[in-house]
Amino acid sequence: MELFTPDFGLVFWMFVAFGMLFLILWKFAWPVILKSVDSRADLIDKGVEYAQEAKAQLDNARSTADDLIRQAQRQQADMLREADKMKSRLVEEARAAAQSEAQKVMDAAKVSIAQQQKQAEEQLRASVGAIALDIAQKVVQQNLAADKEQRQLVDKLLNEIETQN
Amino acid sequence: MKRLFIIFAAIFAVATMPAYSAEAHEGQHGEASAINPKEIIFEHLGDGYGWEVPFDHHHRLPLPCIVWGTGGLHVFSSARITGGETYRDGDVSFRLGGKDSEYRGKIVEIGPDGKETRPWDFSITKNVCALFISVVLVAGLMLWLARWYRRNGFKAPRKGLGFLELLVDFIYVSVIKSTLGSKARRFAPYLLTVFFFIFFMNLLGLIVVFPGGANLTGNIAITLVLALLTFLVTNISGNRHYWKEIFWPDVPLWLKFPLPIMPMIEIFGMFTKPAALTVRLFANMMGGHMIVIVLTLLIFIFAAVSAAAGGVATAVSMVFSVFMLLIDVLVSFIQAYVFTMLSTIFIGLSNEEHHGEASHEAAAH
Repeated sequence: MELFTPDFGLVFWMFVAFGMLFLILWKFAWPVILKSVDSRADLIDKGVEYAQEAKAQLDNARSTADDLIRQAQRQQADMLREADKMKSRLVEEARAAAQSEAQKVMDAAKVSIAQQQKQAEEQLRASVGAIALDIAQKVVQQNLAADKEQRQLVDKLLNEIETQN
Repeated sequence: MKRLFIIFAAIFAVATMPAYSAEAHEGQHGEASAINPKEIIFEHLGDGYGWEVPFDHHHRLPLPCIVWGTGGLHVFSSARITGGETYRDGDVSFRLGGKDSEYRGKIVEIGPDGKETRPWDFSITKNVCALFISVVLVAGLMLWLARWYRRNGFKAPRKGLGFLELLVDFIYVSVIKSTLGSKARRFAPYLLTVFFFIFFMNLLGLIVVFPGGANLTGNIAITLVLALLTFLVTNISGNRHYWKEIFWPDVPLWLKFPLPIMPMIEIFGMFTKPAALTVRLFANMMGGHMIVIVLTLLIFIFAAVSAAAGGVATAVSMVFSVFMLLIDVLVSFIQAYVFTMLSTIFIGLSNEEHHGEASHEAAAH
């Protein structure tokens, strides 16, 4: 059958045509095209790799930042608590100091009051004695000659009064 | 929508084209009943010395005839012989072989005694012409793509060039690289050339008017040459291990020593691979063309029976023709792909590194 017998002329020209096409493309087209396709594929691969790395780094950085923030917050809370504690302690201390100071002042006041009281009492006693003696002197000068016995009696009487008080 | 309409119109026009030529053919012979389907089919599937013009079966685009016969080289226009005339060049005369001739439809040289002999025929026939159109088309497209890369570097092309790049990338990455690995760059030029050449020849064959219409890849000469090239590349690049597997395969001794049974099978296999490649592409493409022509011829066969039958057959045939042509577009790609893929696999097998060799030898000692 004609269809199954290859024609010599066509076989010959097919060799020529394919040879020509192959040489043209082999010299001018395929090296450029394949180089571009290959290097673009490389570029894309690298790009993807780079992006993944960058994403990983970014995730890492984000979690680090989160950690830092959390840490800072904790520190802040600690510091606040600390400050609070210190404040109350200071207040407490101040209060205690003030109290003891007041106590001291009061004690001193009591002592001085007591002293003054005593002084006043003694003064009073002396002046009461003197006045009494004066009165008695005047009374007795007129009536009595023994002045010394009179004075002792008065003193004794005054002591009795004091102990009664 | 408008574009879709244009596409449909174009497909319809393409599908009806064989019908018109068949009609013209029929007109040439006078009566409708004289349709000879076999003749028409074979004329359309085969080669020719001129290129048919649509709507006119009497005129053809003349192509140069180049023959080497008695008295050396003879070059003349095909228009001088396609009508059945005899062309005289000095002492030698040529004409097309007649219906009963051994060289039917081919240029024959008529000797002084009237005996027909076949000269060496290098004519630029319809197929050869289509071959060069394909070469120009593929070379043009690929150089265009190469120029884009030279100018734009990494930028990805768009539209038409983007599609070309897609095809290149598809074949290069998923067929060639995945099979050949590190050797991909060495064989890619051949394999990619084969793929695009076959693909565009297939597609051009589906266009019925001038730049296409030649049943190129459905011609066994074309597929034979392609398979032969793959055979040559496979065997020339084949490494030591490949030849060892053929002549001294890893089988029990009695299978290869007194009678070389396995080597014979392997050698037989060397030739069946390209033979299968040849026939697969040829039969698929020829089959597609034949189905469309037969469907179209059905119209005329039924029209000869009755007008009504003709009408029904026209509608049915057109629908099926369009369907078949669309499938043929798919087949065009698939067959180009399959040819390239099988070539890649054969080359890959002949270049395979044998990793287990050292351990085998160690075990044998």
